[in-house]
Amino acid sequence: MLSDSERAPAVYVDDVWVSFRVTREKNQTLKGTIAGLRDRSKRAMLIEALRGVSFQVPAGSVYGVIGRNGAGKSTLLRTIAGILPPTAGRVAVWGRVTPLLSLGVGFNRELTGRENILLGGLTAGLTAAEVYDRFDAVEQFAGLGDAIDFPMRTYSSGMFGRLAFSVAAHLQPEIMLIDEALAAGDAAFKQKSMEKIAELCEQEHCTVLIVSHGLEVVKALAEGCVWLDRGLVRMEGTADDVVSAYMDEEHIEATSATALEDV
Amino acid sequence: MAATQPYRIPTVYESTASGLPALRPYFAELRSRRRFIWHLARTDLKAEHYDSAIGQLWVILDPLLLAAVYFLLRTVVKPVGTGANRNAIIAHLLWAVFVFTFVSNTMMAGARSLLNGRGLILNASFPRIVLPLTSVVKGIFDFLPTMFIYFVFAFALGQPFGSALLMLPVILVIITIMTLGLCLLFAPAMVFFRDTVGFLPYITRIWLYVTPVLYTVREIPKSLVPYLRWNPLYPSYAALEQVFRAHWPSPAYLVAASAWAFGFFFVGIIAFLARERDFAVRL
Repeated sequence: MLSDSERAPAVYVDDVWVSFRVTREKNQTLKGTIAGLRDRSKRAMLIEALRGVSFQVPAGSVYGVIGRNGAGKSTLLRTIAGILPPTAGRVAVWGRVTPLLSLGVGFNRELTGRENILLGGLTAGLTAAEVYDRFDAVEQFAGLGDAIDFPMRTYSSGMFGRLAFSVAAHLQPEIMLIDEALAAGDAAFKQKSMEKIAELCEQEHCTVLIVSHGLEVVKALAEGCVWLDRGLVRMEGTADDVVSAYMDEEHIEATSATALEDV
Repeated sequence: MAATQPYRIPTVYESTASGLPALRPYFAELRSRRRFIWHLARTDLKAEHYDSAIGQLWVILDPLLLAAVYFLLRTVVKPVGTGANRNAIIAHLLWAVFVFTFVSNTMMAGARSLLNGRGLILNASFPRIVLPLTSVVKGIFDFLPTMFIYFVFAFALGQPFGSALLMLPVILVIITIMTLGLCLLFAPAMVFFRDTVGFLPYITRIWLYVTPVLYTVREIPKSLVPYLRWNPLYPSYAALEQVFRAHWPSPAYLVAASAWAFGFFFVGIIAFLARERDFAVRL
């Protein structure tokens, strides 16, 4: 196997900073803004979600992102997906990014599962023809049976998640960003999802970035891994090393809680 | 296989000072999203009246009932008489209410489109202008059947038909461009100042009263014309009124209507594009 430096990157993150102001009030209102003109400190505080993060992900590999809540993991994925603009620094991606940041983005609960496959695919940036080509594969993988023709509001959250993952995994992902999205679905489906991720990497040269608290999953699937701590890269390296260091620091025992819990 | 990668051009996300995105790739991306816009609009349409008994008939019934209410209102204020005069008033109310419903409903939906599309904005990457555009496409879907209904009524009420009606699509396109401009202005405003949600219904209500909907352009007292003609919808409505009476529209009205429409459109699109990178942060 080639070392990381010899393999072409699929994702290149270079000294990325992301900061934004959040208002303390729930919604920004006119009154709040006028009041805020007098006292700016009351109005907003600056959140530095990422503070100079750099790493690269070799093409065709699974890469883990771990860290505590609020470490900037989701922000990082949103920046790579082009959803949040970096405040400073630079992100380069080689290939189509398919984000799976939240389940069923673009799905409409009033429509049937079948109609939502098309909608989900179009949301991800595919053409209708590309979606139709993979329709059967998506349907089969989701394994929803007759429910595929029922409105999605009748679905359980597990069924919802299965369809969402199937859509993302089958529609020609080149770089897939997965944010805890597999938490829905039963054990069998989780297992199936993991196998699918491995298959995508090996056979279709897809690159996968996975944010997870399921440390055993990161260890099992990922080659490389980055550990974020309050917006900084705490450690980067092979998944085994980084996960072990993280578990030492956080005093986590390798129990079932870290296994398949939140893939 | 990895060796093929460096030859591909990467997509780069960098910090840029707030300002317009690179327009050429932006509109190329938007072009590739046509089917997406179309489907989102259809989805909205399908889902909207999903649970009511007569479902999508409401799209027509709603403005029709509104026109009926305004007709009652008018007869109370001032008797409309009988025969041809009454028929002309009914026909005017119908198209005027239908067009105004299109403008105000679309503007309202477009203004809310970013707030309602929060989940999409936070979790998927696409040109954000897709969302207000979807509202406009959905508005057109809702509007077209009402135009058909109008012509059925106009025929039954013995209204004049003439070749001047060929200008109708042109005026409607002008009105649509203005509506899109308003959506592009109000949608970001809604993100940055949530209060806009509360004001908008009152703005549209006042707008209804100053637009020749409940009355015709020719009924406006001479002394009021210098004020009312500054209403952005005034020239379009004046032109529509001529067309529906089978007269060719005055070029002055068309020019004024286009000026308003493209003015709103360009200001709107610049305001929208300049701000769109911030939407994900502010939602």
